[in-house]
Amino acid sequence: MPLETLDRTPPPFFKQEPSALSRLMLLSTLALFLMVADARLHVVQPLRAAIATVLYPAQWLALQPVQMIQELAGYLTELKTARKTESAARLKLAEQSQRAGQVEQLLLENARLRELLALRERVQVPAKMAQVLYDATDPYSRRVVIDKGQLQGIQPGSPVLDESGVLGQVTRVYPFGSEITLLIDREQVIPVVNTRTGTRSVAYGDPALHGGMLELRYMSTAEDVKEGDLLATSGVDGVYPPGLPVARVASVDRRGDSSFSRIRCQPLARLQGVAHVMVLEPVGDLAPTAAVGAAPAEAASAPASRPGRAARGGRS
Amino acid sequence: MIMPRGQPLLLPASPGFIWGSLLAALMLDLLPLGRVLWMPDFLAVVLVFWSIHQPRRVGLTAAFAFGLMLDVHQASLLGQHALAYTVLIYFAIMLHRRILWFSVPGQALQLLPLFAAAHAIAIVLRLIGGAEFPGWQVLLAPALESMLWPIVGALLLAPQRRAPNPDANRPL
Repeated sequence: MPLETLDRTPPPFFKQEPSALSRLMLLSTLALFLMVADARLHVVQPLRAAIATVLYPAQWLALQPVQMIQELAGYLTELKTARKTESAARLKLAEQSQRAGQVEQLLLENARLRELLALRERVQVPAKMAQVLYDATDPYSRRVVIDKGQLQGIQPGSPVLDESGVLGQVTRVYPFGSEITLLIDREQVIPVVNTRTGTRSVAYGDPALHGGMLELRYMSTAEDVKEGDLLATSGVDGVYPPGLPVARVASVDRRGDSSFSRIRCQPLARLQGVAHVMVLEPVGDLAPTAAVGAAPAEAASAPASRPGRAARGGRS
Repeated sequence: MIMPRGQPLLLPASPGFIWGSLLAALMLDLLPLGRVLWMPDFLAVVLVFWSIHQPRRVGLTAAFAFGLMLDVHQASLLGQHALAYTVLIYFAIMLHRRILWFSVPGQALQLLPLFAAAHAIAIVLRLIGGAEFPGWQVLLAPALESMLWPIVGALLLAPQRRAPNPDANRPL
């Protein structure tokens, strides 16, 4: 059968569409408007969710070959590597079982003491397991996408953990998935407490440094911070439950010309290639208002959600 | 019709193939390969190809829509890719009568500033938004896109280069 050699429709003679220049103007104005609405006003989430739903089958399809190759690679891993990871896991389990044994006793003790002091009970937070689908490829932020979304009851703002510590926070929720902003993203802030001294502070993400670290800002040089100190969530923000391990202090740089020291912390969670995560429900207004008082709790929760640019003005 | 010397007469492009190839390029961009800064944008190359060869079929509106999809997938600023693609396709349409008179490597060289401009738009937008420059590897992406041009061209023009009446000597 011979193929058609001519276009079926010749170019229109009289019916003219709007010129490319006018369309460029219209569409770039629309794009600029969308960007302002996204970055400043945060009102485009419904549009994002709609596009994400349309795009979901394509994303799912694109995920299949990559997951298949990963599975195949995992299947072909040498026995030695598997043995090594297994013994490492057993070692960690042994370490943790010792601590877990203590925890039962401590919980009991804590409950009695709290009863004695008439303090509020610690909140038990419900959790959901989720699988990380892919790292978002945007080079300017650090995000991952997980396979649980609105339909599975994920709420925006939920804290996310992996097996060793806090990983980040759910920032956008789509019907079939959600985006997690990692702790080391520039816009991410987490209130922490130094478990050795009990000092409270706020850790800011810094993606530029050694593949991503946290920085404790506004800590005076007189403050007692040492390398190796463990930082845990302080719980004053009303988002993260208190006591989750966050990071370990990697370096403390006390400079003569400044009254603040430069403190770098290495996050405990695996920020590269994490596979399974746990999404907690945000603590919400269950924050210990009785202990802290309403005003400081509110002030602390403001940077935890999304700091404006004003909050980052004092970058050293 | 005035045509560049040595260029064969082509069959009309089928709309199904055009949109199929655009979807395939979108799928390539959606592949979760991790954070690779120099990853070339296949969708941009295919969009530029069709807007140069078939400017009446693929235009600014399609580029804008595909840009929005990539923005959602990459979790970047909504409208960032849309603006970059719209500007890219506008200049590609401006170029389309002239550029086909060059040889294929010449076309790739002419398109290099276009691809670079599209990436520069994204970088400038994010720097205005307060982000940090991600690293010099992003500069490799437009060069790789430009190098993809001959390959994409050969692949996408293949169906149009078939003989209109296949016989024993010309089976395809």
